[in-house]
Amino acid sequence: MKKLVAVLLSVMLLAVSACAMAQTTLTVAGWDTATTPYYAAIKAGYEAANPDVTIEWVDLASQDYNIKASTMLSGGDTTDLYCVKELSDLQNWSKEGLVVPMDERIAAESYDMTKYAGMDACYVSLADGKQYALPFRADYWVMFYNKDLFDQAGVAYPTNDWTWEEYAAIAREITEKTGAYGTHYHTWTSCVANWAVCDGVNTLADGEYSDLKYFYELYQALEDDGVCMSYDELKASGMHYSGAFAQGNVAMMPMGYWYASTLMGYIKDGTASMNWGIAAVPHLESVPAGSSFGSPTGIAISASSENQDEAWKFAAWMCSEEGAKVIAETGTRPAYVSDAVAAVMASAEGFPTDETTKAALLPTAIALEWPIGDGVNEIKTAVNEEHTLIMTRELTIDEGIAEMEARAAEFLTK
Amino acid sequence: MTNDAATARRTMSKLERHNTLIAYSFLAPNFIGFVVFTLIPVIFSFVLAFMDWGGGENVTFVGLDNFRYIFKDFSFTRSNLGIALKNTVFYTLMTVPLTLVSAMALALVLNKAVKGANFFRAVFFFPYVASLVAICVCWNFLLMKNGPINQMLNAIGFNMTKSWTSSRDLAIWAIIIVSVWRNAGYYMVMYLAGLQGVPAELYEAATMDGANGWQKFTKVTLPMLTPTTFFCSIMMIISCFKIYDVVAIMTQGGPGRSTKMLVTYIFELSFGGEGIATSAQYGVASAVSMVLLAIVLLVTFVQFRGEKKWVNYM
Amino acid sequence: MSANKKTVHMSAGQVVLSVLKYAVLIALAIVALIPFVWMISSSIKTSIEVFSVPMNWIPKEFHWENYSLIWERVPLATYFKNTAVLAIVVTFMQILTSSFAAYAFAKMQFKGRDMLFMCYIGTIAVPWQAYMVPQFIMMRSIGLYDTIWALVVLQSFTAFGVFLMRQFYLGIPNDLSEAARIDGLSEYGIWARIVLPLAKPAIATLCIFTFVNTWNDYMGPMIYLTTDTKKTIQVGLRRFIQAYSADYNLIMAASLCSLIPVSVVFLFLQRYFIEGIATTGMKG
Repeated sequence: MKKLVAVLLSVMLLAVSACAMAQTTLTVAGWDTATTPYYAAIKAGYEAANPDVTIEWVDLASQDYNIKASTMLSGGDTTDLYCVKELSDLQNWSKEGLVVPMDERIAAESYDMTKYAGMDACYVSLADGKQYALPFRADYWVMFYNKDLFDQAGVAYPTNDWTWEEYAAIAREITEKTGAYGTHYHTWTSCVANWAVCDGVNTLADGEYSDLKYFYELYQALEDDGVCMSYDELKASGMHYSGAFAQGNVAMMPMGYWYASTLMGYIKDGTASMNWGIAAVPHLESVPAGSSFGSPTGIAISASSENQDEAWKFAAWMCSEEGAKVIAETGTRPAYVSDAVAAVMASAEGFPTDETTKAALLPTAIALEWPIGDGVNEIKTAVNEEHTLIMTRELTIDEGIAEMEARAAEFLTK
Repeated sequence: MTNDAATARRTMSKLERHNTLIAYSFLAPNFIGFVVFTLIPVIFSFVLAFMDWGGGENVTFVGLDNFRYIFKDFSFTRSNLGIALKNTVFYTLMTVPLTLVSAMALALVLNKAVKGANFFRAVFFFPYVASLVAICVCWNFLLMKNGPINQMLNAIGFNMTKSWTSSRDLAIWAIIIVSVWRNAGYYMVMYLAGLQGVPAELYEAATMDGANGWQKFTKVTLPMLTPTTFFCSIMMIISCFKIYDVVAIMTQGGPGRSTKMLVTYIFELSFGGEGIATSAQYGVASAVSMVLLAIVLLVTFVQFRGEKKWVNYM
Repeated sequence: MSANKKTVHMSAGQVVLSVLKYAVLIALAIVALIPFVWMISSSIKTSIEVFSVPMNWIPKEFHWENYSLIWERVPLATYFKNTAVLAIVVTFMQILTSSFAAYAFAKMQFKGRDMLFMCYIGTIAVPWQAYMVPQFIMMRSIGLYDTIWALVVLQSFTAFGVFLMRQFYLGIPNDLSEAARIDGLSEYGIWARIVLPLAKPAIATLCIFTFVNTWNDYMGPMIYLTTDTKKTIQVGLRRFIQAYSADYNLIMAASLCSLIPVSVVFLFLQRYFIEGIATTGMKG
């Protein structure tokens, strides 16, 4: 009997230690991981599917993230994976060999790269053309609309294939019929100028801005007719888009997807009360419907990681459909989009249930809000400054565009 | 005798050394903090101006490249540094005299034993202690397109169709108005103190000589106040060159670059502009800081050199 | 006769003059106060009435509930608490270090005293903005980023405090400290028992100045504090404005609340303010 107990005990001990041996801990650097809900969800989701792996988030402050992560990487820290905040950082890391290319593994597993709506391309190194990270989150722009105001005006809800002309006409109609604002433009440059990049060809850093003219003209006509609040007053009062739409007297507002969770929060705590929906942003005739722009968040594997295989497995899972579902449950927009993921997003409490909204969660193409490259920061500042002059009508559209081009040229020739 | 003197000297120097040590112990708490948190950063800033640094591991010496960068194609209408300089100087040239004149006027009216002088003094001083964000927001509303000030101006025949902060020409005036309104009370107090120091006999003598009120002002009051004016103008010029917060809250440097100031530019280079996350260019930012420092020191120096010519100490 | 005439004439002129003077004073007072009046009136309106044309100085209906609403919408109480803690700590540190250092400058003889003092004064001319970047990097590397300690060390060792205290100490007769020295009191004893008690007005002045400056500081907290629960009232107010910018009435109510502590301090202690400013203006 005693012997049996001893044998049993030693077997159990062996089993336990074998388990402990196989247990891998992956450390992953991210920012605000304690306060952003999807990090915990990813950890729980992955550990449930892979009991032999433990995920540990390394929490770095958001403002400091780029610097701290760069320092850790170049210092040979053993943290296995790093979330990618700034695209330019990943370019530097890949250039210095601090992160590993994923192409071989992607090819070996025939990993599905087609569901990112193009958001993976920005993680290709400009130097060697290899893939250094995968996107797990992508905030792209959609159009929020207030169903109550559409009903009041007796106008059909927006569809996902509207052109900008149709959008402007309906905005006018709603203002005429209800007295509310047909649409709302926040003061950011992206709210007017960025629509020109949805074709995936133009960028705001290419030094050529005649393609913005259409959107400035569209805006100014709407502003003149009182269809949207004037830029002048928005700027002087410092009004924020979240409050502007939540007030309930704005019918439509193109905005980043992140606003959905803000709005759901407002409705839940009673700050706002309305029926709302999401549609794809309108498009130009020459650009396919469902095209938008946005910015991704990705994950890369450190060259100093001692668990390369496990790290890849985790990154691959996080950016796959399974990972995307987990992220979507927390109200965040994952980079991977499929019907199943969209269904998860749409099932969130307080989320609109109509088909248009659901379909709008599947954009056809997402262009980068700002491209990567030398001089982009300077050009960005210049474009933003000239934007304010066009919007306040201190410059005509043509003058403003000419100024943008002249100022961008200084940095393009560098 | 000689021996005594030597001993005395030795004790003296011993005492002196002891004294010096005690003095240093008094200075230490403030001085150490001052060295660590002010002096070292000042030196660091000077060094950084010759480096290329984005905040990461790589710091490289680049010589005068940062200065070449900011002075590249220098012009007061096109280059960032030129525009920031022009705006800052314009703002200073307008704000300093306007504030000093209003401060002096307030002080002169209050000085003549008015009933309720204390009340008025508190009223004029109040804008200075009121918190800046509240004030700037309030002025932004007052100067809005359909705000009360434009309503008033339109009523008397002007044609104001824009918020002040949306106009390239008026935005800087919005900043100037707020600055003058806010600071006049502070400098008024300085002038009140200055006026207390003017001997009554001088006015009596002037009255005997048959001087009228205006003559008394120009021949007695004004010259006697020059030390105050000198001190105030130095303090004000320095603080005007540092202007940032009013701009950050009211106009964010816009529209366009019409209210971009030197510090706004430094800020943009190091921390990114409002709503724009750009990567840090600490080296370039420090180079601009050096330009700012050089100007402030130059102005202060010139003021002190000129002091003897126009400041009248009794 | 003629002398008589003259007096009559003068007093008539004086009446006109004093009427004119009061008219000017009242007009100026209105200019100084009108933004505050507008704030008060807007804070008890509905957000739509704030910009009604023509504007009403007295609201049609009084919406006092705006003042309770703002406390529910944003953590104003947290911002107030943070700012109060910061202001008190900074004020205490400044008084301590400045009154100490000023004693050496004003009451003691030692080598390099005047040179060192000039150095201090010199740094008043150096704009903070010229070295805020390296300072920021330094603070971040020693782990003070996003803590109120960054702001504490930033504001605790100012040259201004030393300057102000020294100016005041100079006015305390040296005989007093000499007598104490002969009685065998150490320098620390003289500082603690003689000079400091006499310098109460200067301490009060410095207290108020530091308190008001810390309370109203915008740029420091903006650079150094990112966590919402650590923010001070100025930065918090700015956040409130951005989040609820459609509610002008609430913004004004919150802004007015942020003014209350400094206003109270100012109203009760304005004498020290004014004396303090006058002291800095003295040539010393």
